Amino acid sequence: MTDIKKAVERVLSHVAAEGNIKAYVGTSASETKEFNVDGGTFSLMRTVFGSAVSLTVIEDGKRGSMGINRLDDEALDSLVTDTLAIARAGQSDPAFDIAPFVEARTFTAGCTECDTEKLFDRTKELLDTITARHPKIIMEQMIISHKKTHRAYGNSNGTRFETHKGVYSVDLMFSAHDGDKSTSFFGSGVVTDSLERPFIELGSIERDLSDVEAQLDPGTVDGKFVGTLLLPPGCLGEFLGDIAGTFADDMPLLEGTSVWKDSLGKVVADPRVNIRIDPTDPAVVCGESYTSEGFVSEGYDFIKNGVLESFTLSLYAANKTGLERAKNGSFSLIVGAGDTSLDEIIAGIDRGIIVGRFSGGQPAASGEFSGVAKNSFEIVNGKITRPLSETMISGNLADILKNVRAISSERICDGASVLPYMAFDGVTVSGK
Amino acid sequence: MKQLNIMNLLPDSGHTEFRVQENTKRRVSMINGDLVGNSSTNVSGVCARSFKDGVWGHSSVGEVSEDAAREVINASRENAAFLASRAAKDGVKIASVTKSGIALPEVPSPAGVPADRVEFLRALDALIVRICPKLTSRNLVLFEEGIEKDLSVTDGVSGHTAMRRSYVYTFLTAEGTDAGEAAGQPQELFRAFGGLGTFEENFGDPAELADGITEIYNQLMDKCSGKYADAGVKTVVLDGNLAGMLAHEAVGHTVEADLVLGGSVAARCLDKVVASPLVSMVDFAHTAFGEVCPLPVYLDDEGTPAEDCVLIENGILKEYMNSRESAAHFGMAPRGNARAYGFADEPLIRMRNTAVLPGHDKLADMIASVDDGYYLINTGNGQADTTGEFMFGITMGYEIKHGKLGRAILDTTISGVAFEMLKTVDMVSDSVKWESSGYCGKKQPMPVGLGGPDLKCLVSIGGR
Repeated sequence: MTDIKKAVERVLSHVAAEGNIKAYVGTSASETKEFNVDGGTFSLMRTVFGSAVSLTVIEDGKRGSMGINRLDDEALDSLVTDTLAIARAGQSDPAFDIAPFVEARTFTAGCTECDTEKLFDRTKELLDTITARHPKIIMEQMIISHKKTHRAYGNSNGTRFETHKGVYSVDLMFSAHDGDKSTSFFGSGVVTDSLERPFIELGSIERDLSDVEAQLDPGTVDGKFVGTLLLPPGCLGEFLGDIAGTFADDMPLLEGTSVWKDSLGKVVADPRVNIRIDPTDPAVVCGESYTSEGFVSEGYDFIKNGVLESFTLSLYAANKTGLERAKNGSFSLIVGAGDTSLDEIIAGIDRGIIVGRFSGGQPAASGEFSGVAKNSFEIVNGKITRPLSETMISGNLADILKNVRAISSERICDGASVLPYMAFDGVTVSGK
Repeated sequence: MKQLNIMNLLPDSGHTEFRVQENTKRRVSMINGDLVGNSSTNVSGVCARSFKDGVWGHSSVGEVSEDAAREVINASRENAAFLASRAAKDGVKIASVTKSGIALPEVPSPAGVPADRVEFLRALDALIVRICPKLTSRNLVLFEEGIEKDLSVTDGVSGHTAMRRSYVYTFLTAEGTDAGEAAGQPQELFRAFGGLGTFEENFGDPAELADGITEIYNQLMDKCSGKYADAGVKTVVLDGNLAGMLAHEAVGHTVEADLVLGGSVAARCLDKVVASPLVSMVDFAHTAFGEVCPLPVYLDDEGTPAEDCVLIENGILKEYMNSRESAAHFGMAPRGNARAYGFADEPLIRMRNTAVLPGHDKLADMIASVDDGYYLINTGNGQADTTGEFMFGITMGYEIKHGKLGRAILDTTISGVAFEMLKTVDMVSDSVKWESSGYCGKKQPMPVGLGGPDLKCLVSIGGR
């Protein structure tokens, strides 16, 4: 087995021999065991032995990056040569940089040894449980795996990190069927570091299966109305990802198109909205430990009491724009709970829609979004009346954050994020 | 790429695939003249997949050697045995394939001196600044990809294949004007230039892209004075670019056999009318309308020689896209749709070059026939569903009023139920456009080609 730490040292020493060059290199060795279920039955067992080396160099302000998956000496030496060639063909920018020196750290998380027999048993148990409790569900695909990863990292400022992590992942894609009737497909899943509990008890898997079964006889909306959009945790996470991607990430700030570009420290959302991005939160399984530039990852407030506290910028984008970099490179969302139960939120909605999954085009740079409301339910006069199909929703991402009606006291943790339900007013719902 | 002669390592009976594969990528990105990204990746390795008692075992390692080959072949058989001992399935077979008379094109050697990609983008950026004066932002991405495979199969066709493609993506942004309904808001439009071939084969002088850049710039200026579409069901003329997306999302995914087995609507529609008789749709393997497809496939990763799959013929659903296992299940012929993206991946049922066939109408006549509707030109993404409902984002379009093009519309989304919407198609143009710059998403990404003529039909459009 190639020593990934020695690979880091070899690469950095070769870079140093070329001159005063900033650099960072990450190496990894991983082992994955995976079971696949297709069309409701076991189909595949897979074992993957992976390795990776990724090098970035900055010479005279010119940056180049290269990634390979070989750890032999010949490949490592060629990596240095080729990466330097890429950089030298580039263009100088003083914004390219790496993190200053940080004391060496080793991070350990999760479950690094896979219990293959028990993983199979838990997978079969999940399949059998779903068949028994949710007979109308067809499991289009189930992918359940364990991945063990050993990483080593170093930069030219002397920083050295090492991680040993192992995580189980459960990913389901399913729909409900009854004769000729069928629902939209839906995805659910969790990441976990333990096989102690049956998978059906984790995340929102059980609730998601029940919700999809209840969507078999949908109606359609006549015409259109402006009402309340209620997002369950999974869909809320997708929307928050779109919000960050449209207003707070590198690209919109570098392009100058973000409508939030002058909003740091200003109100961008309802004062009840609190969003942290924190891979170190105990609820996050095997979260990010350090950034690619070499900073130790720390949690930070993205939006606090409705105020934009931080963009989600890399070091380069921060240097380029004069703004602060994000304290980690992840999107591990920890969203604060509200003080209203989900039942109370629904009871308070005159006319609205619960959208389990949103299928839409990329939001416009202005934040305008439109798309199909999948796996959705109509709310009328405080009650869920029927599932819906062939229904579209549209609105503006920046506007809806300011029009939050309510945030639930209940939250779901799926091992990657902790999210409540959130209701937004002022969304157009249109049908046939 | 290093090749291995390991046929002697393969078992004498049963079905085992062994593949050596290398994926390379190069990406250079520039925002407003600043070089923000300049990177390359090269990933290679071997994998094997074995079939036993109705289930599969797969293994891969990132090393190309005889030892690695032996390791993954043995591990794939052990994994198949592990799963078979616990979840064997009776009666599951694999369809056989023709083993002779297959001609694969030669894999080209790498090009000579590589062109200066950064300099190309710099020059292109300077050109855009000159000919597009009202932009607030420009984002250019140069992207190249190479996938080379060497396949050995116990009971199929073995062979060495390669695909290289290269693109320059241009994203132009300008500010909405007071004449439009999004005054002061950024509006963006994107186009990909390029296709099959290396960067050196596809791109020379950046000035050659001037006409295409000017076209999207003019459309962007129209969009900046644009209005929101009216939400609801509308008559639309879909540009050929969108017809390809329709073929892929609305129909293609629903007739992939694994999705059929997972409950897609197509399970009930074989040999039934699913579209207007004007509509025919084919998943082409490597040659369409006498020319090489955008992303030709000659051999899939199960050892099946690739041939065309007729999905819809004159409005009738004819066939699914299959793996060798699903082909045996459905009593169909496998046509080379089982493909894997990387060396560590197992083959999945994927589309190749999916297109609606051309008809006889002219675009101008199609627009003139619409009293109140839209001409939709550009899309960025799309998605399919088990129910047959499709969605794709619209990034450029115009109103049609009384047979004439009117104002541009702002970004929106269209959707419909495929096998209902296709029955509303009443005009099909006589020319085909192809698109191939993105990826199809499933468990693994996959480069695919999409194509079609202009279509007139009814769809649901999102708006205010």
